[in-house]
Amino acid sequence: MSELLIKNAVVCDPINNVNCEKMDISVKDGKIVESVSSGAKVIDAGGKLTMAGGVDGHTHCAGKINVGRFMSPHDMRMTNVPGLSGKEAPTATTRAQVGYNTPNAFAIGYRYAKLGYTTIGEAAIPIIGARHTHEEFEAIPILDKFGLTLFGSNWQVMEYIRDDEPEKLAAYVAWGLKASRGYGIKIVNPGGGEAWGWGKNVSGLDDPVPNFDVTPAQIIMGLAEANEKLNLPHSIHLHCNNLGKPGNYETTIASMKLLENLKSNRDRQVLHVTHVQFNAYGGTSWRDFESAAPQVSDYINSTDHMTFDLGQAIFGPAMTMTADGPVEYANSRMLNAKWSNMDVELEDASGVVPITYSPKNFVNAVQWAIGLELALLVDDPWKVMFTTDSPNGGSFVNYPEAYTYLMSAKRRAEVIEGFPEMALGRMNIPGIDREIDLYELAIMTRAMQSKIYCMDTKGHLGVGADADIAIYDLKPDSVDTTVEYAAVKKAFSGAAYTIKSGEVVVKDGEIAMTPEGRTYWVNAKMPQATVDAMQVDVAKKFKKYYSVSQSNYMVEDEYLPHPVEITTEAV
Amino acid sequence: MVVITDAICSLCGSLCDDITVTVEDNVITNVERACILGRNKFVGMFLHDRIESPMIRKNGELVDVSYEEAIDEAAKILVNSKRTLSYGWCSTSCEAISKAIQLAEETGSLIDSTANVCHGPSALAVQEKGGPSATLGAVKNRADVVIFWGCNPAHAHPRHMSRYSSFSKGFFTQKGRKDRKMIVIDVRKTDTAKLADTYVEIEQGSDYLLVTALRSAINGHEDVIPDAVAGVSKEDILELANVLKEAKYTCVFYGMGVTQSRSKYKNGDGVSSLISDINQHSKAVMIGMRGHYNVTGFGQVATWETGFPMAIDFTRGAPYYNPGETGANDVLVRGDVDAAIISAADAGAHFPQDSLKYLAKIPVIQIDPYANPTTELSDVVFPAAVVGVEAEGTAYRMDGISLRMKKLIDTKFKTDEEITVDLINKVRELKGGA
Amino acid sequence: MQTVTLSLKEKNAIPIEADTINPDNFASKSKDEIGAILVWYGNAQVTIGEVFDVAVDGSDSTENTKVVINGDVSRVKRIGQEMSAGEIEINSNVDMHCGSNMTGGKITINGDADSWVGCEMKGGEIVVNGNGSYYVGGGYRGEACGMKGGKITVTGNVRDYLGEHMCGGEIVVKGDAGLLPGISNNGGSIVIEGNTTMPASEMKAGTIIIKGEAAELLPSFAEDGTEDVDGVTYRKFAGDVNANGKGVLLVK
Repeated sequence: MSELLIKNAVVCDPINNVNCEKMDISVKDGKIVESVSSGAKVIDAGGKLTMAGGVDGHTHCAGKINVGRFMSPHDMRMTNVPGLSGKEAPTATTRAQVGYNTPNAFAIGYRYAKLGYTTIGEAAIPIIGARHTHEEFEAIPILDKFGLTLFGSNWQVMEYIRDDEPEKLAAYVAWGLKASRGYGIKIVNPGGGEAWGWGKNVSGLDDPVPNFDVTPAQIIMGLAEANEKLNLPHSIHLHCNNLGKPGNYETTIASMKLLENLKSNRDRQVLHVTHVQFNAYGGTSWRDFESAAPQVSDYINSTDHMTFDLGQAIFGPAMTMTADGPVEYANSRMLNAKWSNMDVELEDASGVVPITYSPKNFVNAVQWAIGLELALLVDDPWKVMFTTDSPNGGSFVNYPEAYTYLMSAKRRAEVIEGFPEMALGRMNIPGIDREIDLYELAIMTRAMQSKIYCMDTKGHLGVGADADIAIYDLKPDSVDTTVEYAAVKKAFSGAAYTIKSGEVVVKDGEIAMTPEGRTYWVNAKMPQATVDAMQVDVAKKFKKYYSVSQSNYMVEDEYLPHPVEITTEAV
Repeated sequence: MVVITDAICSLCGSLCDDITVTVEDNVITNVERACILGRNKFVGMFLHDRIESPMIRKNGELVDVSYEEAIDEAAKILVNSKRTLSYGWCSTSCEAISKAIQLAEETGSLIDSTANVCHGPSALAVQEKGGPSATLGAVKNRADVVIFWGCNPAHAHPRHMSRYSSFSKGFFTQKGRKDRKMIVIDVRKTDTAKLADTYVEIEQGSDYLLVTALRSAINGHEDVIPDAVAGVSKEDILELANVLKEAKYTCVFYGMGVTQSRSKYKNGDGVSSLISDINQHSKAVMIGMRGHYNVTGFGQVATWETGFPMAIDFTRGAPYYNPGETGANDVLVRGDVDAAIISAADAGAHFPQDSLKYLAKIPVIQIDPYANPTTELSDVVFPAAVVGVEAEGTAYRMDGISLRMKKLIDTKFKTDEEITVDLINKVRELKGGA
Repeated sequence: MQTVTLSLKEKNAIPIEADTINPDNFASKSKDEIGAILVWYGNAQVTIGEVFDVAVDGSDSTENTKVVINGDVSRVKRIGQEMSAGEIEINSNVDMHCGSNMTGGKITINGDADSWVGCEMKGGEIVVNGNGSYYVGGGYRGEACGMKGGKITVTGNVRDYLGEHMCGGEIVVKGDAGLLPGISNNGGSIVIEGNTTMPASEMKAGTIIIKGEAAELLPSFAEDGTEDVDGVTYRKFAGDVNANGKGVLLVK
């Protein structure tokens, strides 16, 4: 069987409390083991930084991103990040690559692998569109994948909450996860997707959804309780109401507070709030717009029930894509930009609109600062997942650049130099001197993901973990990451080695081989009587309202040739 | 006897998925709920005009050969070509399309779909303005105004109006047709137009003018609209604009009358802007009435694999996209390719004369279940299974919803996917040997 | 001064893509060096020397390099793409994308130019002594901006979508233009001396002057008096109102 010994690795493995210590790592049959035989293949890491493969817990990599690609042929020739964007001809190892914000599926796999990432999570799967998501998952080479299923404007969900049917609601969620082969519950602008069916939106947590007599707050609570009843590996994953609006931080904090008293049987948060950068806005209009990251961070520091991710903005062209349909329409009118929309029957909505973040634009400059402030003002890195909400805040290929903002106050000062004076008064970054070290970076980019998704074989290098390993050309013993940010960026832009399931997939920043990755999904078990009762209601939905038959709705096994099924038992 | 329920009809872009098929001794003996077009495909028609054997043209005549000989000959054509056109791939599965793209990539070819002669301009329009759209069920449940612009579903998509649009009943449209206003915009009074509450007849090729006038009306600029536009009176234009502003939910279904008439993709571009403008007042979406049952799937697969939905040129390695330059007919009319592979579409029947004249001059490989006008132009011919009847696989409905087509009966024929994989392997072998 | 003369040896059918043919790549190079530069011919690369007879007179900087192209290059694409200075003279019809993305210098085409001539150009000058085709000075698929600067003159006619998405620069067409010239103009200047149809749709900024007949004016422009240009009085239209445009359309 295949064995690998990585010698002289300087390992940052926060799950196992290993803080950049020199050690050897043994790999056998795709797993980390105690030791290997003398016949093992040897890689000498030569004191280089070694981490578990990165886990991007919130990215748009399959499904809706295809709408973004479809409408942006110009993105395919963008070369904003050399080596990780633009067009590349096929080679003996790799398929042809294109794109920057919306790269083709092959490029997504290769480029994440080059950054040392080995697992990615698609942030939004509409159940009826899930087959498509899984087709794209299969086209993404190398990486393991999982996806979060949209429930926040779903008719059956809203009806069960309105009718006070928590058991049936949990059964429906379990069925929806199975139908879509999803990993967890995603809630986007709860109720807003349904309101957008009539060209409207909900204005906050207590604004009733038209025709359904439930409020966004009730939707969040109902789904969170169902989530814990089902013992799902992840908490609810919430995109708050009022995204992108000045003053929305109040809605954000109120949404967080809703879940304060909810308990989980599992050792994880009960709430993950996503891309908080877009939801930590102060002021009352774009004129008095300012960062509300301090208020949001203060609240997060005061509680232990939640985690969040950044949605960091990157300067340059980006592509916004979200199930938040009304936000995208508003974006397109405000930015005078092209607009794609999809009203998804009985379930949700979505939209896609291109955007460019400019350091000369005061709003964009403040947005950039807010993401960083959230990461730096929240004390506990285990609460912070690093993301750009790729490609909403910017393409994932900019992660190495963004790491330098977190790790170096000097680098931040350089960027801020180009900002308009007005922007500086609306942000707090100039007064923040915290600099994230490599150990904290490992937490934010892989270790905390292992915890928040209850993926105990991911995000660490302990015995029994998947042998997903990144070795970067950076020597923790000798590098000063607060100053040598160019070296940091270079090292993270092309791993010396990326190892996936024990195989070397990247060597010296180039793709070495392209095995197929696996897809994780959750099969949550509920008592059969409840399932049967729920099925009666669902069958009516198909008979009267869906445009497809129920039997053709469920994603078939053929679409998950490499499945990893996680089963849970209801409380 | 086997009864297969919820079978998917692989004829048009409506992709009806509620068909019941009865199979006795590997013969389809009964089909329920399909329209006349679908029924004809399931029962009988797919058995007629079948290509029975691989063939190679020798001394001007197509003669039966072994499968291996045909693969060998076809692969040689591909390897020796400076630039091959791969065309069609729309009446087949996404799995086959994926392999066709890989073959094009490995042979430095250009690959295009039937969108080149139907809804290609719709993609260009999306690239200008975006595609504000919806799933068909959203329309069924919500739409109180349905517009058919330059399309005739009564003939081309027979069950569309009952399943998804005019007559369908949904959550907010319990009374179906009675809850809905149906408007048809066309250059002639089609059978669909005869069913409409309002029929707007426009002058040939004047769609863009009407779209612009409607936008001006909706955006509050009545003053710039002259007394008549596109043959429609200002009064009628203002009334139509008013209907759109006051509707709860409008869906504009548009067809080749919009995409293939004068101003082509700028018409769809204009409609997209119109939809955006209407949303300032109410809710509106648009959906293209796609013809071939999986032409939408080609666009989807090609987009995630190459970044582009059609007209993809691998001549220089990395994909390049520029319809007008890299479309199937663009290169045939100019004589820019020296070989062609055509599958799951009938170029021979649908291409303009200049393109066909050129196809007759170059080696052509055909993969298709049926003998058709393209066969007459072909030099190597592969018979294939009928996908959706004899082979399973994925297809995308006109609104982008994907469904898994079932295999209903067994066949002796290889699938498009299998044949394409064999071609990829043979091409690799020949290139490796060179 | 350096003069490089390329004469096509034999007319090709499959297009040659010659984005390497420009003064930037030829300046101060010898005949052999230029002959060894690669172009694409179908799905393989060949050297310039394989398809052109190459003659070089003198050696100089890009600014002082002139490329003269003889023979029928109506199937040679991308000549002069991205050139920054110097001069190209083409004594033939020329294929698509001639002078696309150029930033400076001058291209003279003594013949017709196929589609996308001067596409997304940022500076310099192109003179077509013949007809243009589609998308003269336009933008590529999905882009917000076509031509941003420089000048294109076409002595003959052009087809549809002249100056699509233009964001700057100047285009003069002495003959007729097809459908929808100046569509989505964001600040360019277009003069059409002949006739055209449906001009200036969705214009946000810039000026379009039609000296001949403008058929089918779009119902999205407000008439706003008259304006005199070079002693000629034009009807003045403002719009496009649906784009909240501040563009000016002048027609006879």
